[in-house]
Amino acid sequence: MAAESVLTAAGLAKTFRLGFFRKKVQAVKDVSFHVERGEIFGFLGPNGAGKTTTLKMLMGLVFPDQGQASVLGRDVGNVEAKRRLGYLPETPYFYEYLTQEEFLDFAGRLSGLSYPAARKRRDELIERVGLGHARNRPLRKFSKGMLQRVGIAQALMGDPELVVLDEPMTGLDPLGRKEVRDLIVSLKREGKTVFFSTHILPDVEMICDRVALVVAGRTVAEGPLSQLLSAKLVGTEVHLRPPTHGELPPLPPGVDRLVSGTDVRLDLPGDFDVDAFLVSAVTAGAHVISVQPRRESLEEYFVAHVHAGKSPQAVP
Amino acid sequence: MTRVLAIARNTFREAVRNKILYSLLLFAVALILASLALGEFTLGEGLRLTRDLGLYGIDMFSVLIAIFLGVNMLYKELQLKTVYTILPKPIARYQFVLGKWLGLVFTLALQVAAMGVVLQVALFTQGAGFEPAVMKAEWLLFVNVVVVTSIALAFSAFSTPFLSGVFSLGIFVVGRAIPDFLEMGHKAGGFAGTAVDWAGKVLPNLHLFFPSGAVVGAAHVSVHGELVNLDYVLSTTLYGLGYSALVVALAVAIFRKRDFV
Repeated sequence: MAAESVLTAAGLAKTFRLGFFRKKVQAVKDVSFHVERGEIFGFLGPNGAGKTTTLKMLMGLVFPDQGQASVLGRDVGNVEAKRRLGYLPETPYFYEYLTQEEFLDFAGRLSGLSYPAARKRRDELIERVGLGHARNRPLRKFSKGMLQRVGIAQALMGDPELVVLDEPMTGLDPLGRKEVRDLIVSLKREGKTVFFSTHILPDVEMICDRVALVVAGRTVAEGPLSQLLSAKLVGTEVHLRPPTHGELPPLPPGVDRLVSGTDVRLDLPGDFDVDAFLVSAVTAGAHVISVQPRRESLEEYFVAHVHAGKSPQAVP
Repeated sequence: MTRVLAIARNTFREAVRNKILYSLLLFAVALILASLALGEFTLGEGLRLTRDLGLYGIDMFSVLIAIFLGVNMLYKELQLKTVYTILPKPIARYQFVLGKWLGLVFTLALQVAAMGVVLQVALFTQGAGFEPAVMKAEWLLFVNVVVVTSIALAFSAFSTPFLSGVFSLGIFVVGRAIPDFLEMGHKAGGFAGTAVDWAGKVLPNLHLFFPSGAVVGAAHVSVHGELVNLDYVLSTTLYGLGYSALVVALAVAIFRKRDFV
């Protein structure tokens, strides 16, 4: 049975007219993807690729010039669909004059919760995002990382089926990023679908089931990471201590060689005969410390497609 | 309705936590109280002066507060990007605008009521009794600021606070002087006369809401000679609220089509 799509974008395009002379800026040219129920979906792209504009179109904040989109099977902006949706905007801005509790109560009321239900949910979420120590503190006194956590809490107030997060790791320290990653994984365990945009690739590699890559306003790839990234060996990193007397076996031209004290790190190409090299090196008296085969990383994939701007065939 | 009221409540909370409002309110109270001191220098006209100056203070400061709040309401939501958090919630755009408007109206009602209480106390200290006529005048001033703040809100749906403020103040000034404005147009005749005539039909006739304290009697308040009875208050209120409804509908229409970039 085909998986149910909870978020779809088909050929979305948006041009803004900016400045005094109403100069045209094509922010999104052709973005298409679909998000399946229960998955963690990463929406990747460099800065200025059109990720936030796409998300704004999906949230009904910006009207597309072309294309179609649906959220939980309904048109974008449908109030019933929005009731089942939670959204964290990029760099969230909140009402500074409110305390954390007041703001979450407000978000709960807007999500359609009764006062008692909003208060109960608020208390659960404040603990869940680790802000129990600042319940009655005005939001203007919150740090960037704390605001990001409040933003996540407000997105979850209505206990949504679909959680859309725009750059949720931005502004967080490594510990905060880990906590958000854990939170996203726990949301998936609860049966929710999580869609998030980011350019922090290690986070994506760790938790995403599927991704879409958008470059210069176009989707250039979509699919599971395991299918997008090549399984073939792209190189081998060798860490060794060269022989005290004698030389290392000859290396092909262009090999990166990093000398650190008495040790050397070599980045050998994927088609190089590493086994033969290691045997010769050990025979010559070298001491091998580590050998690390390297497959294609998301970062390499990302960099290659962003730079080349080419469009590999999307993986269904 | 729950969501509209939640927005209204938040708007009210934002307004009452704004320190600038208290400064304006303080000025209004100072003006009303100053009338007591000035009354000492007039012979038997103390009460009239207090009514005049008090109603003038309520009028002037409530309009300033209405414009200040109105022009900032929607613009601030866009500028501070709080709208990005609110509109993806299960709320329609018209409910958002309606909630902001309702919150503003409630805030202004409280402000006018607070200034009205100060005026009434000032009148009591001069030996006057409870004056329903003054209350009618205050009610008209309240309806007046509802119209003014609705106009300011509509401007803030597409313009900056500065420009919205200038436009709103301009409409207030012209609207208050509508009879003079129309008379000038009639005298000019021709195209100018027709243009003024049309403008007179489109712009709010705020002249209707301005009570002249000079002719406040025990039972009636007069708007430039026309006695203000309950029928007048009712019909003028309906006119003000009807005009406000049209302007808010215009704000909704603009807001519904906007991209929030």
